[in-house]
Amino acid sequence: MKRTYQSLAACCMLLLNACYKDHGNYEYDLAEQITVTGINSDYDKVSLVDRITLDPQVSSSDPQAEFSCWWGIYETNVQGSAPKVDTIGRTKALDYLVTQPAKGWVLVFGAKNLHTGVSKIVTARVNVITQFTRGWYVMKHSGGQTDVDLFLTPSGIAPGSDKMENVFSLVNGRKLDGSARLFGYYTNYKSDVTGMMANTKGLFILSDKDVSVVNLNTFKEIRGFSSLFYETPAVKRPGSISEGSSANYLVNDGHLHSIYSMSANVGMFGGVQLRDDNNSPYRLSDYFLTYYSGNPFFFDETSCSFVSATGTGSVLSSVTDAAGSEMPANHNNKALLFMGVRATNPYTGIALFRDKTDAGLKILSTITPENYVLKLVNDTLDAAEKLYQAQRYGLIVADESILYFSVGNEIWSRNLANGAEQLQFTVPAGETVTFIRHRKYAGSATLELPYYFNYMLIGTESGGQYKVRAFRKSSGNLNANPDFVLEGEGSVGDVIYIAPSINNYTYLNSY
Amino acid sequence: MKKILTLAVLTTALTACKKDQYYLYNDIARLQFGPPVGQLYYSPADMADTLKPYTFYYEPAAVLQDTVFFDIYAIGGTSGQDRAYTLEQVMLEGEENAVAGVHYKAFDDASLKNAYVIKAGEVHAFAPVIVLRDASLKNKSVKLQLQVKANDQFQPGEIRKLWRRVELADQLSQPAAWNSTATTYYWGKYSQVKHSFMVEQTGEKWDQDFLTEINADYALLSFWRLKLRTLLTDYNNAHPGAPLTDESGETVVFP
Repeated sequence: MKRTYQSLAACCMLLLNACYKDHGNYEYDLAEQITVTGINSDYDKVSLVDRITLDPQVSSSDPQAEFSCWWGIYETNVQGSAPKVDTIGRTKALDYLVTQPAKGWVLVFGAKNLHTGVSKIVTARVNVITQFTRGWYVMKHSGGQTDVDLFLTPSGIAPGSDKMENVFSLVNGRKLDGSARLFGYYTNYKSDVTGMMANTKGLFILSDKDVSVVNLNTFKEIRGFSSLFYETPAVKRPGSISEGSSANYLVNDGHLHSIYSMSANVGMFGGVQLRDDNNSPYRLSDYFLTYYSGNPFFFDETSCSFVSATGTGSVLSSVTDAAGSEMPANHNNKALLFMGVRATNPYTGIALFRDKTDAGLKILSTITPENYVLKLVNDTLDAAEKLYQAQRYGLIVADESILYFSVGNEIWSRNLANGAEQLQFTVPAGETVTFIRHRKYAGSATLELPYYFNYMLIGTESGGQYKVRAFRKSSGNLNANPDFVLEGEGSVGDVIYIAPSINNYTYLNSY
Repeated sequence: MKKILTLAVLTTALTACKKDQYYLYNDIARLQFGPPVGQLYYSPADMADTLKPYTFYYEPAAVLQDTVFFDIYAIGGTSGQDRAYTLEQVMLEGEENAVAGVHYKAFDDASLKNAYVIKAGEVHAFAPVIVLRDASLKNKSVKLQLQVKANDQFQPGEIRKLWRRVELADQLSQPAAWNSTATTYYWGKYSQVKHSFMVEQTGEKWDQDFLTEINADYALLSFWRLKLRTLLTDYNNAHPGAPLTDESGETVVFP
């Protein structure tokens, strides 16, 4: 028995180490509820002009609540450094002149109950803008030179009376050589315009003889042709700008250059990617098929073959045929007349070919990529079909399976599912159709509701003046009259609508 | 009973155990090599610059000597007076060792009397190694391993930080930045023929400084990899049946 007591005593000595003071919280009252009202979710403010003036209502379930308040602001879409909150107020009411550069910011309001120590944080998005960050941009050319007009949209998607003509040359003191071709807008383009290498709203302006990328906040050129490449190409003939599979791609003189966007870079394109291990000659068509997270596809006019690419590779990626494909992806003896993306899910493109041997043979193909395998389903055109005679093309992206095209001064649609063609619009006599493009900006932000749109844009030229008609569509058919018409001097190559919340995912890249 | 009590006492006594403090090397002044000052508190860089290849290959014929510097640190605090330190050569077994007076200036050479000093109030210095351009370096490279030697001012510091090595040549040699990662992903297996091709075709030195500069920029690295691959492909196309081959008979390739 004595041994048992002694053993228990020894065990107790050991177990004493396990004792600790209980610091548990046994308060079962309901958690305090602090409510803040009077702060919207989004604000658009012009830097150095607008103020943020707010006086939110703060209440608490604690009847003895007494609040200490503060305001802060921090930068969004930062890469390579942690955003820092700048305190801009220490009272409940805020009256603050916005001085931040144009980009996305987050406004933070904090209210702390001094009685209980409980805090409530409320945030709001602040889009700091300039006169350049919202409006319709029209790329046009006249006299062999390209410039850009800006139509301001102060209260809704239809332009107001204010227009800034030739904004590129106005800011940069020169025009681009050549004819207007294509815009590319990338909010993840890297530049040091803010003093450090960071994401920049970069708008690419491509003519057929020059290229420039401008900082959208100021429209100042970030890089021109001579500074856009690590090794400036000998020939200036930009063909396309696009984004796909974590890279930006620029085709110049039929050769592919890339920037891998998932690593640090300075916004410069690399050398010419090789066609193969033998550095065989190649020439890529200006038309391409890509979207931001899909593999890009180009058409090599030299070998009549599709190719793909990565942002990190040295050699273009080969493409193979899917089972059931009705036309080989390689050496198919075709000339590419048009190609563009139709949808991203499933990833689908449309291409129009002409046979190189039988010039009378034209084929409309639906392309379905799966990694580097292409399935082409063909629709051979009859010479009597309107698409057979088409000159300009514009796909409806994502909405309907319809290809728009022009024949003379007529705008036609072709239902890609059944081949039905329908006259949609006849431009007035004397006008020449110069471009067709579908653009769509959609979302649910309350402040942006007046700006969302879904338009087929038809550009024409007559007597050195352009008109861009913005048509709404219903089930793929154009309304009888456009919502508005953009007019100016020159001939239009491309049109894009820019707003603070538009980014590189808003529009798919395509001709 | 005694066993139980003994066990209980010993178990309880275990709670008194604690981890010994690190040795701070602050008893007397010690000396050791280290990374560049900017990386001193970045532990992965502890052994940076342990080995420095140097070649006279890029220098004009008139250049007969040059200096390789290593960062060296006094530990144990500063002093109000200049403190001389001593380095010595360590012979490497089975290697072509540098010869004092032929391939480098001896550390006790009279002209270097004031070269090996930690200045008053400082704990860092650049230890110079004067390398000499001997004709033999055209055909072979030699290794100079140096280490800290105790003197009346300093005792040696951490053992693994007591040495540095210079690999000296007057021909192209593999820069330290052409490391295993660079070999796997960018430049491939090193050879003097490949290195010479890179220098001649691009006009760049492709030495340690150049490689260090482009290693910091992936886009630039990718540009040069593509450029070299293109140049090599064009060379091989221009020499059908005779692709560029290195000194060991292997065909030169870039990844």
